[in-house]
Order: sequence, then C-alpha cells, then structure tokens
Amino acid sequence: MSYNTMPERREGPVDPMPNPGPTEEGGGPRRPEGDSPEKGNLLKRMKKVDPKQAERYRQRTGE
Amino acid sequence: MRLFGLETEYGITRDDLAEVDPVVESMELVRAHLTASFERRWDYAGEDPHEDARGFRVSGLAQDKEENEFVERDAHRPFSFHDMKSDLVLPNGARFYNDHTHPEYSTPECRTLKDLLAQDRAGERIVQRAADRRNKTLGGEHVQLYKNNTDFHGHSYGCHDNYLVPRSIPFFRLVAGLLPFLVSRQMITGAGKVGIEAQESGFVPGHFQLSQRADFMETELSVDTMHNRPILNTRDEPHADPRKFRRLHLIIGDANMCEYATALKVGTTRLVLELIERKAVPSLELDQPVAAVKQLSRDSDLKGVVRQKNGSSISGLDIQEQYYRAAVQTFTGLDEETDWVLREWGDTLTLLGQDRRRLIGKLDWVTKLWLLETFMQEERIGWDDPWLASLDLEYHNVHPERGLYLGLEAEGKAWRMTAEADIQRALATGPADTRGGVRGLCVRRFSDQIKSMQWERVRFIGGLLSPTLDMSGLFEPAEVNRCLAIFEAAASPMDALTAWNERKDSRS
Repeated sequence: MSYNTMPERREGPVDPMPNPGPTEEGGGPRRPEGDSPEKGNLLKRMKKVDPKQAERYRQRTGE
Repeated sequence: MRLFGLETEYGITRDDLAEVDPVVESMELVRAHLTASFERRWDYAGEDPHEDARGFRVSGLAQDKEENEFVERDAHRPFSFHDMKSDLVLPNGARFYNDHTHPEYSTPECRTLKDLLAQDRAGERIVQRAADRRNKTLGGEHVQLYKNNTDFHGHSYGCHDNYLVPRSIPFFRLVAGLLPFLVSRQMITGAGKVGIEAQESGFVPGHFQLSQRADFMETELSVDTMHNRPILNTRDEPHADPRKFRRLHLIIGDANMCEYATALKVGTTRLVLELIERKAVPSLELDQPVAAVKQLSRDSDLKGVVRQKNGSSISGLDIQEQYYRAAVQTFTGLDEETDWVLREWGDTLTLLGQDRRRLIGKLDWVTKLWLLETFMQEERIGWDDPWLASLDLEYHNVHPERGLYLGLEAEGKAWRMTAEADIQRALATGPADTRGGVRGLCVRRFSDQIKSMQWERVRFIGGLLSPTLDMSGLFEPAEVNRCLAIFEAAASPMDALTAWNERKDSRS
C-alpha cells in the first residue's frame, strides 16, 4: 500500500506516560526473567551469526 | 519549550557483493520505499553546516575536502545530486533520505517521549520494509541494515539527538552545563561495543566498552561532524526562528535499540537543558573531557574516576548523581513524564552501582554484555575472538528474524514503552501536538500540490510566489492543533492557508 494514498488518520489523545508503580519495571511489560538467553531461541540465533561478518563489514564515515 | 527528535544513520551492506557502493545502495534503499517515481521536493534552504553557534561562520569543515572528492566522483554517476539524495518527507512528518553513504531516518519533531519512541521504532520498520522490497527485487536477503554507529574498522556514523532551546541561553552556558553530563551520559545510554577503534585507524579486539561513539570523540567543541568530532557540536542550524531558538545538535550519542535507553537519553538531556535554563545545574568542570569520555567508556566496572579542573576526582556515576539530584530538587511534581524520567534515572543509577543485571533489556550495553558473556561461556571463547564483533554487529540488525536485540524483544525480555498500535500509528501520522504532525498531514492530504518542503515550511504549487505554510514559530501545542484542524477541514491548500493566515492576522 502506498503511504501517500493511505486514508487520513487523526491521532487521538496520547496515552499518559505508563505508571510503573512501585517496581523498577517502568511501565513496560516486564524485566527480563532469564539468567541466560538459552531459554528462548536467542542462543541458536547467535550461533548462526557468521564469525567473519564484522571483518567483512565496511562502511564509509558518516556524521 | 519541549521539542526533540532523533536522526539515525543506518549501516548498510549487501552480502552478495564483494564490494558494495554505499552511495548506490543507500539511494536504492530509499527509492525502494516509493511506490511511484521519485519527485524532488526537499528544500535545502536553511541547511548550512558552516554556521557556528559560537557566533561565527567557518570557511571550511574538516570533511569538506572529502565531500568535494565525493561530489567530483559522483558527478560522473548516471544520476544527479538530488536523485542521489532521494530526499523524502513521509506521511508521519519524518524525513527519509540518503545522507550520502547511509540511509537516514529523521523522526518528526516530538513533544513526548512516548511519541519519540514510537516514531523511532517506526523508522526501524520503514527502513527494514524498504530493505525487504529491495531484497525482493534482488532475489534474496542480501541487503542488511544496522542501527549502530561503527563498522569496527574506524568508520563511524551517527545517531543525533536534537532539542529546541531558547536562543536567550548563552551558548557558553550550554557548553559548561552540558559537558560533564554528556561525558557521563554513556553509562546509561551507551550501546556497548566490542573492541577499541580510532577515526579511520583500525580495530583492537579484546575489550568491551560502554559506548560505540566514545572512540570517535576528538575535541570538546567543533562545528565538524565527520572528522575532529566534538562532544558538543556547535552547528547553528535552528530550523526555527533564529532570533528566538537554537537547535542543540548532539552527535555524541549511540543509536539505541532499547526503548528505555532512548527514553532516558532524551528525557535526562531535556531535564539538564531545563536546569541550565534555570541556572540550577551542578557546578562541575572536568579537566580533560575528551579523555574522560574514552576513559569512562572503557570502564565497564564503573569504578574509574576522572579528574576535575579543581584537582579532585569524581566517578561517572557521581557526575550523573549530581545532575540527577539537581533535577529532582528542581522538577519533582512538574508533570507525569518528568516524574517518570526522574524516577527511572534514579533507579538506573542505583542499579548500575548495585545490581546491573536488573537492567538487562533496558540498557543496551548491559544487555549486549550479558548476551556476549553468556555466549562466550557456551562456546568457550575469549574476548579476542572475532566472533564477538560479529555478534555485536548483529545485535543491531533491524531484520526481525536476524537481529539479536529484536530476538530478545520478541521473547518478551526487553522493556517496552510502545505497543504495536503506537508504532502502527507512528507509521501513518506524526505527533498531533507538533509541526511534524502538520507536515505529515500536508503530505497525506495535498501530496500532489506540494512544490517543496523542509523542517520549517511547506511550499505549495500556485502563482509566482508559492503559497507557503511557515512553521518557523509553530511550537505551541494549541496553535498546532488549530493548524491541524484547518488543514484537515480545508478543501485545498489555498483554502487552508487563507483560513490559517486570517486567523493569525485576527490575533495580531
């Protein structure tokens, strides 16, 4: 869909800042609970990363 | 006046080519956003990086020579300068373009942290959607985008945070009040980095530091941004009435993946600017701020101290603590967002000193360090293993199925302020209480009648003198709302401008 032709939408009132209550959670869903990324698939994702990837990665200086 | 925004230059690469032309790739990426042909619309008037906030104009920038070489090389390309830039204004009021060798997404101006985070996250989606389209054309997942600040070979690119500040605050007061804060801000806002670099001079593995940008800070103050990078950039491009406003353009910051880090980066900086305005900023002066930036970045135990001008030493946490206390004294109870920033700032400083694991999913450097240490244990590798720099890079990949941070977030292990609905809204509209929302509305309603646009104004087609919506002083939320209502209701831009100007005339 072209964003130039999207139907006009008026933004409604913005929610107030989330109230985190007495915990450190700051209004977000939750603090990470695991001690290790193993519990999810994250470690698998990490193992898939090519060890040489950063060596090949070249950029030009930006601002 | 509360108004801020983020500009993010993304790293871009293609894994199917031995050598990537970043100019072409960035241009093609931006073009992939379009569903119609590109029309040149961005108005470059008002952009002059040679104007210095210290009250003078420099004849040249350190990067001018390199830029001129690029221009000469680009002159032989089969496309014009404007085609190369491919500057777009999006329906949410954001700017998306090729900043020469990096795709850059600049959020529209925001007044609240929640809006800023939603617009920043919308930027990640927009650049990745463009990459998806480009990859479809290429026939494979070849283009990858990174929301980071280094290539691990001495090349850095920026994520700049911008704030509207009253021109009445003398620039030297901004400098004095901000320098110690910015030197120590990285303890909260650093994105974390494997290794040590210097400007265009290689990479030393075997270390982990708090910040991606610290290695590239070379001086305290400068109008330059690509070489001789300063802790405090003095570029004077207000993008607003220059008699009344400055735009503080900070280039020291890292691109954050964690929403919490972005919120605290901008939230605490905004409070420090207000402390400076009220002359309530703590009296601190560091002996060697540039050395201190690097020293604090390379001290992930947070135990090190830096020297002050008065001969005493102070830790980075203590610097932040002094700013925090001044802000608590001055701003407690001001409004809900301010109280949120104060509460989280204080909690973060406490946890950094006592139990930083509780900041995983909130601060990037803490999260990245935790991931890397877990991986090192699992794979029995040390800090000098090149795999770690690759994992560092992949932490910032904005592809939802590849990025490590996004993987963590998908598992529910990252703190969120935005909901999916907020991001979807930010993809379609700008903030309802800033001129960014008006800019976006003009794009959505009158796209085919816009001649040119930029941060301060929209010029419409029609007549010798293009009818123009001047937004150089449009900052009061109530005024923004009235302007939005007029442009929403009008049948044409001319009708809207007539109604808006009549309203302004009747008030003056």
